Amino acid sequence: MSRVLPYVGFLALMVVAYVLLAAGKPIAVAGLFLVSGFAVGSLYALGGIGLVVLYRATGVLNLALGAMGALGVMVAWQLQQVGVPQWITWIAALAVAIALSLFYGRYIAPLLAWRDPVVKAVATLGFALIVLGVTAFAWEDDVRKFALPTDALAVRILGLRVTITRMIVIGAAFALVAGIWLYLERTRTGLQMRALANNRDISAMIGVRILRVESIAWIIAGAIAGFIGLMFGDLVRLEPVVITFMVIPSVAAAICGRLDNLGLVLIGGLSMGVVESLLTLSPLLKSVRPVAPYLIAAVVLLLMQRNTRLLFAKD
Amino acid sequence: MDLLKPTRSGTVGIVFAVLGFVFLPILASGQWQQILTSATCFTLAASGVAFMYARLNMVSLGQVALMGVGGWVMLRMNHWLDLPFEVNLAVAGAVTMAFGWVLALPALRMRGLYLALITLMAAGGLEVIFSTFRFPNGGEGFWGVMPSVAAPFRRPVIAESDGAYLRYVIAVTLLGFLVIEAHRRMAPGRAWAMIRKSEAAALASGVNITYYKAWAFGLAGLLAGVAGGLLAGGLGLLDAATFRASESIMLFALAVVGGARLWLGVVIAGVLYRVLPALFNNWSLDADLTLVIFGAALLHALITAPDGLSGQIFGLFGKGRRS
Amino acid sequence: MMELHDLTVKFGGVTALNAVGAQFTKPINGIIGPNGAGKTTAMNVISGFLTCTGSIRHDGDEIGKLPAHKRTRWGLRRSFQREQIADDLTIEENLRVILDVLPMSAAQKRADMDRALEATGLADRAGEQAAGLATFDRRLVDIARCLVGKPRVIMFDEAGGGMSREETERLGHVLARIPDLTDAITLVIDHDVDLIRAICSDTLVLDFGKRIAFGPTDEVLDDPRVKAAYLGIGETA
Repeated sequence: MSRVLPYVGFLALMVVAYVLLAAGKPIAVAGLFLVSGFAVGSLYALGGIGLVVLYRATGVLNLALGAMGALGVMVAWQLQQVGVPQWITWIAALAVAIALSLFYGRYIAPLLAWRDPVVKAVATLGFALIVLGVTAFAWEDDVRKFALPTDALAVRILGLRVTITRMIVIGAAFALVAGIWLYLERTRTGLQMRALANNRDISAMIGVRILRVESIAWIIAGAIAGFIGLMFGDLVRLEPVVITFMVIPSVAAAICGRLDNLGLVLIGGLSMGVVESLLTLSPLLKSVRPVAPYLIAAVVLLLMQRNTRLLFAKD
Repeated sequence: MDLLKPTRSGTVGIVFAVLGFVFLPILASGQWQQILTSATCFTLAASGVAFMYARLNMVSLGQVALMGVGGWVMLRMNHWLDLPFEVNLAVAGAVTMAFGWVLALPALRMRGLYLALITLMAAGGLEVIFSTFRFPNGGEGFWGVMPSVAAPFRRPVIAESDGAYLRYVIAVTLLGFLVIEAHRRMAPGRAWAMIRKSEAAALASGVNITYYKAWAFGLAGLLAGVAGGLLAGGLGLLDAATFRASESIMLFALAVVGGARLWLGVVIAGVLYRVLPALFNNWSLDADLTLVIFGAALLHALITAPDGLSGQIFGLFGKGRRS
Repeated sequence: MMELHDLTVKFGGVTALNAVGAQFTKPINGIIGPNGAGKTTAMNVISGFLTCTGSIRHDGDEIGKLPAHKRTRWGLRRSFQREQIADDLTIEENLRVILDVLPMSAAQKRADMDRALEATGLADRAGEQAAGLATFDRRLVDIARCLVGKPRVIMFDEAGGGMSREETERLGHVLARIPDLTDAITLVIDHDVDLIRAICSDTLVLDFGKRIAFGPTDEVLDDPRVKAAYLGIGETA
């Protein structure tokens, strides 16, 4: 029961937001904001999933997630400008992000292996600044547009035109959670990853090849970062600074899952996006709607810390 | 430890501040006086994150956002009532201190990563508020924003020129450092040291954890609020982009780079934050490259230099530890 | 006199302490038991780190309901298995932090600290930073902290754990002096039966969260049930 409760809470939040803000509106208007909310929420959730997968396996909260994706999508954009076939540019974006992620995981993260989680997180910030600096240096501020062919394709749902790109983002968030769950449950490295999340020292003793398992986690996180970069560049804005710091609402989504539970990250991220989007319908709160993710995350943190005592605990 | 006995590094710090007070406004001219004023304001704000990190091991990623609160209140007061600068500054500091307490509420039973994340959420929220409502510039109503032109800002009577105002800000910043040092030497400093060790240690020492954690947040908020108020006075008006969540993250990162334990580290943080980009600008280098330097310096500090650049500098001169 | 009455602690389905009661009347008393017997749980309950049912009384004061930091202010002191002294403070400041909130004059506090530092042999190093201290010295600081501020109850949690024979002896001397230095009732929680036998008048024996014996130390240690509790687990003396 208590395991289901948080899911119910996030669902209820979405329903309440819908009833309060969109109930009287025509279905087409309400639906529009709902779909856009799901798309934005899926981006938050994707970021959150990328953070949590890595955090569980390696203990690193990767605040450079956005920066990695930003460099990836900028490279893809540059390749498109010189006429490289689109599918190659997408692969290039993923490859860049994976390479950055793996580089950090292999060469920098081990230097901080025994430090507090917060120090590890701050260190990824250093990497984020380096990547962002290089990206912003290479691509001067300019208005750019990154488009995917799926933008032109659309389906009609309840009379609403929904682009395939949005469908992909929403679908990807669900597919990733399902895929990663299957991977953790059904494969050997998945099992080892769960062991690592539970206890690193014991895992090492019972023969988990930490380096290999961690590398896989860094690769997955890098691929997610690259994907988010592409989607964010297409759906929101192609600007390195903006994409780099989209990691902050992603952190909010990750908090919804207590940095641990992917299902909650997904529904938490979605509810953040939906509430934010529906707030557009409120004349009073319209302008402050981006506060929604942080407010939701703050409430989750408040609820989480009830009855906790941290006598000797490090975290 | 005697409350008034200066340490070696403390003496050096006071001499440094006095030299800056006397010579900086003479040596720097025009635009550079403004840049140095900004750098000093951010130094004062950085002192708040630095003492939280060094004394309580608490990572606060919302300090620049709190500066924004102080700056907002300062401008609001300035364009509302005809009170002296100092009164407005005190109000800005007090309101931001209260904000610090509000921020402390969810953070009281947290430490480590979660504490850092809640301050980051606060910074993210304030970023939205600032960019939506912007900063008062003499317009009508509560939010007080009017398009294009801005009403004049009243600086302190004793410091109306840029040079004199720089001295004023340096003096207030020195005062802020002394307040922190006094805390360290008195009961709150000892209580914080126990809390940093563990909650069990604090409880077994009779320390009221809630009270002293809230106190720390309040003090950090006060410093941020005063710094924000001073920044408003330096520039005359404020822009929401100055107080983005990413800036709060950056200021914390630079406090680590400089070395949070020592006064010099905090000064280095302020200088790196405001002066280095300006220098790059002067040398026609891309200011984006400062990000690369900051990032590399942050990794370097975290991996190999626990007391940051200031620790390495003091290390060169022998045992000049502690601020 | 200090009285534990009907102390019960449950963690989920596990009963860590089961209706434990005892009346400590002597200056130095022991609490022993095999690993997992509930010794440290008992200590954390008395400290206020864990909530429990039952009562903890001392000369008529009920302290079982006070929050942990108020128990310290009332006069409860404890040491930790892994000492909890602050690295950023000097030895003296680690003691002073306890006195900070107590209603004593500056001169009284000074004298009180000096006495505790002298008793633990730390007097001439009072200004040293705790960060640089060796393990045994850190233990001594943790113990010195228990002596300041007119303590009424002092608890030592495995103060002798992992010490060499010589260090344990020095520790024993310091502990034995406590009745001269304070009016406190001291509870020594340890595996080391020799240490308990050497300094404790009365001893409480716990096993599986229950009291299995309480009384004069020598009698208790000869009790067949106590021997049985230790059998097979082996004394870590």
